[in-house]
Amino acid sequence: MNIGSPPIACPGCDLLLKNIVPQKGQKISCPRCNTLLYKDKNNSVTKVLAISSSGLMVFIPAIFLPLMTLSSFGLHQKGSIYDTFVTFYKQGFFFVAIMLFLTSIFFPLLKISLLFSISLLLKIRWYSPGLPYLLRFVHHLDEWAMSEIYLLGIFITIIKVYNMAEIHFDTGFFCFLFLVLSTISSSSAFDHHRFWHEIESMQQSIKLKKTK
Amino acid sequence: MNSNTETVQTAMAAGYMLCHDCGKLIQATITGAGERQVCPRCHSTLHFRFPNSITKSWALIICAAILIIPANVLPIMYVDFLGTGSYSTIMDGIIYFFHSGEYGIGLIIFFASVLVPVFKIIGMTMILLSIHFKWKSWLRHKAIMFRVIQFIGRWSMLDIFVIAVMSALLHFGVLTSTEAAPAASYFTAVVVCSMFAATAFDPRLLWDA
Repeated sequence: MNIGSPPIACPGCDLLLKNIVPQKGQKISCPRCNTLLYKDKNNSVTKVLAISSSGLMVFIPAIFLPLMTLSSFGLHQKGSIYDTFVTFYKQGFFFVAIMLFLTSIFFPLLKISLLFSISLLLKIRWYSPGLPYLLRFVHHLDEWAMSEIYLLGIFITIIKVYNMAEIHFDTGFFCFLFLVLSTISSSSAFDHHRFWHEIESMQQSIKLKKTK
Repeated sequence: MNSNTETVQTAMAAGYMLCHDCGKLIQATITGAGERQVCPRCHSTLHFRFPNSITKSWALIICAAILIIPANVLPIMYVDFLGTGSYSTIMDGIIYFFHSGEYGIGLIIFFASVLVPVFKIIGMTMILLSIHFKWKSWLRHKAIMFRVIQFIGRWSMLDIFVIAVMSALLHFGVLTSTEAAPAASYFTAVVVCSMFAATAFDPRLLWDA
């Protein structure tokens, strides 16, 4: 069977396919198992750089500033994302506390700073041998950063407590909202085919220089 | 591209390995076991299929299926409201929402913390059994089901986040307080196990059978 070279394979069912160059805005799915193979995204590197840098700016206030103040019986209570982790830890639920810390603080921070540094390095075309490892790490990290789920959790909490206490939103809440928006939009602008392609082209230009 | 569907050839049959991390297709040069080939682009070890994929998925799914029992039977939250404390399980929380008329929120919690974990465990078991017994029907649907399982898995953490925010914020000294209860640990473990089970599973094995 003659398949155009180099061929590609579907990650969902291993079907060998012709390598089609996608048109602007085109989506290509596997004919056998319908896995999305490729979706064309414009200016992926620049977009990811812009969005992830703005996300990084609000990261510290989003995690450490209080989300909201609850008032009931004349008493006030504030809490930040970091406080939720501390509360669980103090109650003795170490496993849950550590998972909470990883999924809501550590992995989102790692993911957004990795995306920022990778897109910056690609933008200024500065190749370091660690770059492929960083991008591989992003693939494995992806589903463990759960800020958007946390945000839904906060909304549900608001509905749960609004008739028990008075709610006043603080700066942390808006920072966190912005952080979630930037994580969602940075991962939707992230085109991993494009990123790997850029890395490969940099590797090849280094090889060419060496042979000269 | 459609012309390929009639004469199906897999990359493995043609001697190509797809890199798990960067998606580059590479001609296999290894001949026997014990040899190792590395992706020239991202330096990860190449395999035709994920190593020990079925065994790992089975182990983790069985783990999740065992842990889901204490997660649902034991209380997940302790609420002390004006001196009267009460423990509540996952289902109690959902019933509370339905009683107080918040049907939308009740449904979201019901989906995220009851339906999704159960659906994941049953779905993964069906997929693994169908590979074991080489059931070749509904392959496309099973592939879609696996992608759905992979996508929705993480949303089960929702209930844990709600409890976390509640226990940090709804804490007014002796008057009112919220605390997590033992099932929170089991429930987190169910989510982690089933997420790892989906990551360890290689969907290409469905089509190989």
